[in-house]
Amino acid sequence: MQPTYMNCIAELGVGGAHPGGLKLTKEVLKKEKIVASTKLLDAGCGTGQTAAYIANKYGCQVTALDYNTVVLEKAKARFRSMKLPVHVHAKRGNIEDLDFADNSFHIVLSESVLGFTDADKSISECSRILKEPGTLLAIEMVLEDSISDVDNLSEITHFYGIPHLKTTEEWINMYRNAGFKHIQVDKYKPNLESHNLENSPDFSLSDEIDDQLFDVLRKHHYYMKKYDNILGFRIFYCNK
Amino acid sequence: MSRYYYDLCNRHRGKAVEITTRDGRKHRGIIRNVDQRRVFIQPLGGGRRIGGFGYGFYGYGPYGYRPGFGYGVALGAIATLALLPWFWI
Ligand SMILES: C[S@@+](CC[C@H](N)C(=O)[O-])C[C@H]1O[C@@H](n2cnc3c(N)ncnc32)[C@H](O)[C@@H]1O
Repeated sequence: MQPTYMNCIAELGVGGAHPGGLKLTKEVLKKEKIVASTKLLDAGCGTGQTAAYIANKYGCQVTALDYNTVVLEKAKARFRSMKLPVHVHAKRGNIEDLDFADNSFHIVLSESVLGFTDADKSISECSRILKEPGTLLAIEMVLEDSISDVDNLSEITHFYGIPHLKTTEEWINMYRNAGFKHIQVDKYKPNLESHNLENSPDFSLSDEIDDQLFDVLRKHHYYMKKYDNILGFRIFYCNK
Repeated sequence: MSRYYYDLCNRHRGKAVEITTRDGRKHRGIIRNVDQRRVFIQPLGGGRRIGGFGYGFYGYGPYGYRPGFGYGVALGAIATLALLPWFWI
């Protein structure tokens, strides 16, 4: 196993592996109309913290998709161990090439996922499987517009496995091109030092954890501080 | 047995915590399991210090460490228990 950021999240089994954690997820969902008949896809669900929360809170039809089998198994174990009021459909798949029919979902939620993919492909797939009207909710890391120091960027993109770090403008254009007509953007400013307990992620650890993954954690911490003023976080509400 | 810490640890299974024991030692790691007498925590970093936000995670195993199980801290020895936050992208 490669000591990558993504494998680190997978082996540690981090739940809520996105800026803002479950607390921000709750705030974002509160703004949407979600009822029992709502069909919702959590695209890149990780260990399923969000999908479990949605099933529990809204009792709607949740599908949780990820292409990483380590996290998907942990998500399934989570769903099994909780007494959820509805069944969460856990499915392995690639967001860049989904095997759902057109117009299948009312809401696609994607928390810190699209940025790790070929976003042209994954956004247009999200658009294709959404009904009309339908909403894509995405929490993403952005490059703050003012900076153009390309040397720095490769250190970040390489470490996190991000093909291209996009500005807010670039993201908006991609959503537009994929057919989303109304795009609202909110800024999320994390407080890295805050001891907010609702942001405390849960972990479901694999039995043997490679020591190298702790080096990855250390580096992640270091980069978040080092690039604090270059990296920003946004919530995109995209309607088609 | 300490009912209070038993319940608290159970509720926070899978969370990263900092436990201070009555002897003043700090134990930072993830709660893996709890039994009648002990809470088992997985030190992140196998004894080496690793960075978290505003604190270091480190673990040492005075009570015997077993991979996959973590090491046990007696519930009766716990003075304080706090959840540790983290930031992911
Ligand atoms: C930073 S994690 C976020 C996980 C989860 N959304 C959360 O908030 O905890 C990114 C997730 O996206 C998944 N992922 C990345 N690229 C993917 C793709 N092309 N198809 C499906 N899942 C993908 C990874 O396996 C990982 O679980």
